[in-house]
Amino acid sequence: MIEEETLVLDLKSKSKQAQAFEVLVNTYKERLYWQIRSIVLNHDDADDVLQNTFIKVYKNIDGFKGDSKLFSWMYRIATNEALNFIKQRAKLQGVSDIDYQERLVSNLEADVYFEGDEIQLQLQKAIATLPEKQKLVFNMKYFQELKYEEISKILDTSVGGLKASYHLAVKKIEQYLKED
Amino acid sequence: MNKNNKNPFKIPEGYFDSFEDKLMDKLSKTESAIPKDNAFKIPDNYFESFNDALKVKQNTEAKVIPLFSNKKIFAVAASIAAIAIIALNYNWKNTEEISFNDLANTDIETYFENNDFDLSSYEIAEVLPVTYTEFSDFLSSPIESDNLLDYLNENVSDFDELNIEDNE
Repeated sequence: MIEEETLVLDLKSKSKQAQAFEVLVNTYKERLYWQIRSIVLNHDDADDVLQNTFIKVYKNIDGFKGDSKLFSWMYRIATNEALNFIKQRAKLQGVSDIDYQERLVSNLEADVYFEGDEIQLQLQKAIATLPEKQKLVFNMKYFQELKYEEISKILDTSVGGLKASYHLAVKKIEQYLKED
Repeated sequence: MNKNNKNPFKIPEGYFDSFEDKLMDKLSKTESAIPKDNAFKIPDNYFESFNDALKVKQNTEAKVIPLFSNKKIFAVAASIAAIAIIALNYNWKNTEEISFNDLANTDIETYFENNDFDLSSYEIAEVLPVTYTEFSDFLSSPIESDNLLDYLNENVSDFDELNIEDNE
């Protein structure tokens, strides 16, 4: 595996850029895809946002100062792209973000790329009711199994705050699943 | 044990050091009611073909537009004509700079509608001038004083709390 610092230098060098970008895409595409998919839910939208994320990374790599890890930086771009995508779609359809996300979850029933049973569908409905931050933390911790330290760098939140958000999210989801 | 320590209760050694791990263990057990299988699927060979799809998109975005297409010539001609018309009609003596007041309200509203500022009500309230602001500026229909008195009668037990100053 190529060292991150070397990769960043190669990405900024005109002669090595294309090859380095290929390495970057191969290294991070799957992880970023699942982060985006957990927000936009639908595969085609996730594909669209993932491509836009890499294009944005490619165009802005000169602005990457190295204050954070390349992984955290890209994860942050992917998360923001996905959240903005949701907001724009909601605006286009003239509904609130929450209403739009409820629609996304109900569309899962007919989605060929969603093979969840009833309880998994209920889980997605429960996640959709969470505030944005708790939703992100829950998905990143529970499904992607990221460490609190990693999430802390991506979301720019303290580890203590993240633990509290995660705990609250779990409690709310359990409550939702019990009630339904 | 320190003689001055009057606390008769003891705890097992290293209790607080391992507390967080035990708590997290317990939390992870309570999560078992939540399914963990990934119900989201992807098309076959999606990740294998992703790089090619990304290249196509990158190339589309960076597509070179021919310098002298017919459309371009028309556009250049139209721009020159437009500049000439504006230049002929422009009042060159007018040296006033454009200020905020020159913006149409509809343009400002459109700008706010199309841009996300992530401002909370409190943040907006902090910059909103209150000196010349009346309640009626925020209400689509005015409140009748009778209704206001009824509301205060029903909801306020101690009128001193309202800190009303008698200015009359």
